[in-house]
Amino acid sequence: MIEIKRCCLNNGLRVIVHEDSSTPLAAVSLVYMVGSRNEDPELTGLAHLFEHLMFRGSESVPDFDDQLQLAGGENNAFTNSDITNYYLTIPAVNIETAFWLESDRMKGLNITEESLSNQKMVVLEEYRQAYLNQPYGDATLLIRPLAYKIHPYRWPTIGKEEHIKKVTLGDIKEFFHSYYAPNNCIMVVAGNVSADDVFRLAEKWFGKIKMRKVHTETLPEEPPQKSARKLTVKRNVPANALYKAWHVCCRRDPSFITLDLLTDILAAGESGRLQRILVREKKLFSSINAYLTGDLDPGLLIIQGRLNNGVSYEKAENGLNKIIEEIKSTPVPDEEMEKVKNRFEAEHIMDRVNILGKVLSLSQYEVLGDASLINSEIELYRNVTAGMVSEAAGNYLKKTSCNTLYYISTAAKQL
Amino acid sequence: MKTQKSDRPPVNPINIEFISQPEKIILSNKVPVYFIKGGNEEITKIDFVFRAGFTAEEIPLQSSTTARMLTEGSEHMTASEINRELDYYGITFNAASDRDSTIISAIFLNRHFTKALELLKEIIFSPRFPEDEFKTLMNRRLQWFLINREKVSTIATEYFFESVFGKSHPYGLRLNAEDFSRIKPAHLRNFHSRYYIPQEMTLFVSGKTPTGVIEHLENYVGSIVHYPADRKKSPPLPYGEKKRNLFIPKEGAVQSAIRIGSQTIKRSNPDFSSLLIVNTLLGGYFGSRLMKNLREEKGYTYGISSYLVSLDLAGYLLIATEVGKKYTQKAVKEIFKEIKILQKEPVKDKELEMVKNYMLSDLVRMFDGPFATAESFRLVWESGMDMSYFQTLAQKIKSITPDEIIHIARSYYDTGELYTVIAGPEK
Repeated sequence: MIEIKRCCLNNGLRVIVHEDSSTPLAAVSLVYMVGSRNEDPELTGLAHLFEHLMFRGSESVPDFDDQLQLAGGENNAFTNSDITNYYLTIPAVNIETAFWLESDRMKGLNITEESLSNQKMVVLEEYRQAYLNQPYGDATLLIRPLAYKIHPYRWPTIGKEEHIKKVTLGDIKEFFHSYYAPNNCIMVVAGNVSADDVFRLAEKWFGKIKMRKVHTETLPEEPPQKSARKLTVKRNVPANALYKAWHVCCRRDPSFITLDLLTDILAAGESGRLQRILVREKKLFSSINAYLTGDLDPGLLIIQGRLNNGVSYEKAENGLNKIIEEIKSTPVPDEEMEKVKNRFEAEHIMDRVNILGKVLSLSQYEVLGDASLINSEIELYRNVTAGMVSEAAGNYLKKTSCNTLYYISTAAKQL
Repeated sequence: MKTQKSDRPPVNPINIEFISQPEKIILSNKVPVYFIKGGNEEITKIDFVFRAGFTAEEIPLQSSTTARMLTEGSEHMTASEINRELDYYGITFNAASDRDSTIISAIFLNRHFTKALELLKEIIFSPRFPEDEFKTLMNRRLQWFLINREKVSTIATEYFFESVFGKSHPYGLRLNAEDFSRIKPAHLRNFHSRYYIPQEMTLFVSGKTPTGVIEHLENYVGSIVHYPADRKKSPPLPYGEKKRNLFIPKEGAVQSAIRIGSQTIKRSNPDFSSLLIVNTLLGGYFGSRLMKNLREEKGYTYGISSYLVSLDLAGYLLIATEVGKKYTQKAVKEIFKEIKILQKEPVKDKELEMVKNYMLSDLVRMFDGPFATAESFRLVWESGMDMSYFQTLAQKIKSITPDEIIHIARSYYDTGELYTVIAGPEK
């Protein structure tokens, strides 16, 4: 049981605390409810570039990282389609430094042209390192626009090179004022702290920041996909790869948990069905995996695998389809249901072994609506039945709503 | 724009007095067990450490394949039974080898403690190394190898170690695709019988361990019998290749991978702590000289890091980055420039205070939870030391002066001795 205390400042900032005296550290997480979904389609990558700039000077602190490191802190951040999460760990005795720094950059930024152009270069190198200079690195960039035609999930968080290059200081200022408000933020603090101290410090440092009108846009709903889509690309990689993406529900939908167990039945551990049948028994793939994107709006279930040399796409897909059809028609045996639930429980608990893991988990649950969901999650997974899994597979893994990417190797012999 | 210092909360001293020696017991078959107790969750991790890695091999891939094949079939269980049981009990199992050791780790809920031990004993000590599973595994590993070989980062790292430790030394071994077909199950049986034995084994048990843990360990592990085995003689000390600059072309790459470094002292050397501080200043944290210069000022890279690593036979220094292809030569020049500045100019007070506080709190982070604590302890244990190393390091962090930093940078970063390895597109 993870005890949680909470308060909400008058400006709308939600503060959640978990006291843990077993560590000398404190961990702090601030989630701003803004991601690449909020971007202008002609200016993609802005939310992520903005995250970089949050470290490049605020109202009265020109050097966020230096000041944090002086107090022994270490930090990082990530941006995805839905949120931007800034997090840090620091010796608990210096927790106030975190409040000083985070509140200062919530008040206002002080970004120069030079910082902006430098961080554009850094982000472009990140783009090259993570997507362009890796075998299969651009596959996820290709799947999104295949699966989404209307919804902003159609572009990746990293954005387009030409969009990143044209961002101006004016765009940065506007983005800040539209989204970086206390009433659009969740703060979670965990570690060797007392909740009373945290609430007092929150009021002291964040209390004077004014509530702001947050830009709210109604995102266009992705219309149901009526027929299968397919894309083929050729790349200089050692082996053919297959990607399949189906539209599923949003993260907050009760079916999400069922789908999560479904992907575990398919692909968790060495005993997952895809692994056991397609890699080990039939030797069609050298590796295969299944996962959910877990977005706040309806996301995707993705299966991706690399084909063994000499295996045709047709044979590989037939093997995969057979497993999917079997889950729809034949109830998953009790023992297998029990297995994926046990696995989930162990992993769920492992996530909390260090203080940073705990604070990030709590943040994620608060984004979904309530940090204390962390305590009921295992029971929700326990309640899923084999019938629910088959039903979810039938509802979501339809041939007509599937997006398939053939990522063909120019090096491997083609059949 | 200047910092309004009046606002800044005071920085309090960071202490690491909470670090204590782990409890040690010896099982009846003389296997040492270290206990690192702590945490709030009902979860335990066990590491079985065998001091046999690449240096103990007769043929490349022998130690890592032996480890990876443990779950592919045992005396009483097939591969699918093993994997199903591990997953059923939610056991996270990992088996891998590195230059000096093989480490088998398992994390599991305390309520499955005895089941986990029973399974681990079966998996680790009675493997069968069946032919069919072996072939499938080697095919999968070969595919991974072929994919990784397309990455400039992998290429540069492999050639770097080959240069620094020598082509003929296990520390410098660079794998070929042929190595994956040369190895046979008989090699694995041989390695297993030589090294997976009580006299080569140490256990690290961490977490909120359940009551009766010692009796259970005694039952399952203490009962494994000794039998004589001939340990392969340790290889000689590694020596580097003569050629200090290497370029490996990779057609079509949009970035170059740069690796710069050399052999250096081991953790047991009294200068190691000071060198660790110099390494951190140079490239060991986000506020480092290299990160500030190459990323935050010039925008050549998404990130650059430097490492100081201590192995059984030698230590090494390594600076690693991937940069946009047009910045390759400029980046190398800047890296050498930063080393030379460290050797000439005294570090300013603010930067020194920053690196000191960062490193002290990083020590605290190394003990965030029982699993991290166990890993930190294992690190120094491998160098034949104990937790007092961290107290010595903390003392050095607090006391080091700008003059000492110059002295250490001059003694251990001999720019004429550094290897520079680059993998990327041709100019």
